[in-house]
Amino acid sequence: MLALDITGLEMRFPGLDMPVLSIPRLQLAAGAQLAVTGASGSGKSTLVNAITGLEMATQGVVRWEDTNLAALSAGRRDAFRAAHIGLVMQDFHLFPGLSAFENVVLPARLSRRLTPAARERARQLLETVGIARPNQPTETLSRGEMQRVAVARALLSRPGVIVADEPTASLDRRTGADLADLIVRLAGESGATLVVVTHDPVLMDRLDRRIGLEGGRIVEDSTEAWAA
Amino acid sequence: MIGFILADLRRFKGGALAVIVLIALSVALSVTVTLQERAVRLGSARAAEKFDLLVGAAGSETQLALSAVFLQPAPLPLLSGGVLATLSNDPRVAFAAPVGFGDSADGHPVVGTTTGLIAALSPALAEGTPFARLGEAVIGSDVPRRIGAEIKPMHGAADEGGHTHTGIVYRVTGRMAPTGTAWDRAILVPIRAVWQLHGMAATEDHDHDHETHVDADTALDEHFDAETPGVPAVLVKPKTIADAYRLRQEYRGEKTLAVFPAEVLTRLYATLGDARGLLLAIAMGTQLIVIAAVLLVTIMHVGARQRQIGALRAFGAPRRAVVAIVWGELFLLFLAGFVLGLALGYAAARLISTALTATTAIRMPVEFAREDLSLGLWFIGLAVLVSILPALSTLRLSPARALRS
Repeated sequence: MLALDITGLEMRFPGLDMPVLSIPRLQLAAGAQLAVTGASGSGKSTLVNAITGLEMATQGVVRWEDTNLAALSAGRRDAFRAAHIGLVMQDFHLFPGLSAFENVVLPARLSRRLTPAARERARQLLETVGIARPNQPTETLSRGEMQRVAVARALLSRPGVIVADEPTASLDRRTGADLADLIVRLAGESGATLVVVTHDPVLMDRLDRRIGLEGGRIVEDSTEAWAA
Repeated sequence: MIGFILADLRRFKGGALAVIVLIALSVALSVTVTLQERAVRLGSARAAEKFDLLVGAAGSETQLALSAVFLQPAPLPLLSGGVLATLSNDPRVAFAAPVGFGDSADGHPVVGTTTGLIAALSPALAEGTPFARLGEAVIGSDVPRRIGAEIKPMHGAADEGGHTHTGIVYRVTGRMAPTGTAWDRAILVPIRAVWQLHGMAATEDHDHDHETHVDADTALDEHFDAETPGVPAVLVKPKTIADAYRLRQEYRGEKTLAVFPAEVLTRLYATLGDARGLLLAIAMGTQLIVIAAVLLVTIMHVGARQRQIGALRAFGAPRRAVVAIVWGELFLLFLAGFVLGLALGYAAARLISTALTATTAIRMPVEFAREDLSLGLWFIGLAVLVSILPALSTLRLSPARALRS
């Protein structure tokens, strides 16, 4: 449940004159749920990278509560993300050869933070997301199940923020809808701030706010639309 | 961590195995070269231990030493029998034994000598008694004959078109204890029998067309005088070290040659050592090439897995964990290859030594020495360094870029 405050953010790539993302100001209250939409190439993923610290901001301030990600080194951004941000990606990024349970606890294990309490929580989370057999090898799961494991992994460290990048795009409609339900419900229960990049109208409708991106700029914001 | 590494290696079994085999082969090469050189050096040094001073006719020092110590067949010029007599009666000499070779039986060298040499090689016989008559023989521990067996000597060796002597049939009366030298394969017979057989005894006519018959029952006579026929080499056991040096000095002349076999061998080892240095350099070179190849494989491997590495970081694995995974995985491959290479190299050296011992009877001890430890540490140190480079290179890329690749 961290609040986001972006000021004068610019992301540029070498060789491109125009910034791929330019957001003069964006604020998000703690515990809010935001949908980010836009055509491909509109800067959605770049925004995700900037607010998760996966990529260094070229310019500006990306502040989660008191922490300005844009001022941190790569290692510190990694550490901040590990502690506060749960990530769900379109391609799941589960590690084959490891079981569902092992995938959920892998980040904690690799940072030597795997306590018995965390193991217990991992088991409960797998149950919550509907994985019946935590020891099943990941590669034998269905795509919907894989994304559920990924959701459980994102929630393990009780993050204050959940960022999901097209979480339902590679699933069929039915599975996607179930998963959208799950993410929104779990984020709501934990009180985490939720940012979802999506094309999926079903998912968009469940979130309280929506911004549209085009050419790296915010061209639409549902809050402002209401205000107007 | 180790669980993740193992799961990863399982996924890339084929590649991992190839890298391990590559490293193992190059390590095995160096190990074999090192161990084998040491085995040959130690083995032949021990084989030469019992031969203090050799006196022969003027000629090649090396050939004299090799022929007497390793019983390597080679035509040596004959030393006048008078020298043998003088040496036998020299007060500085504990014993002087003639060594007369040239004959063989079933591939085993037949050497004419005296009971003094038998006593020096094997103070106590393993079985039986020393020869007491011209028709008797004592065999080395590796000669597959029984006491009482008959031996028909052949002039030269079978594979160089030698002919069987018809003048005598030896009967085995004793077997020496193992000495770990080439003499374990030898058949020792009285030197006078050899002389007579070759028509060299002063009392016989010199006629090579007709085989001279040797009376096998003639008792042994081990006193030599000026009339004694020539011999290829005389083994001399001086009483003191000072005597040894004085004798060597005296018998180094125009007609005679005196050598310390150990000294000749040391000179040979120096050459052998150079060869080892060269082989080792080649082995190290292969290792460098292998390490370069492995580095290439790793860089490609890491490149292909950038997504995975990016994902690890994106989901909260600390950078040191990512480095440790990539590094640990590589180091594990290096280590496995190294251990396998040690085993392979040791096995190969054992195999070669066994084969050499079978043909020469010289026992070649294959053993690791203290100085090998530093070589091993060098390799491991290098492996640590080489494997840390690709690991560190994984950090250069931002996780977002890695995920996109």
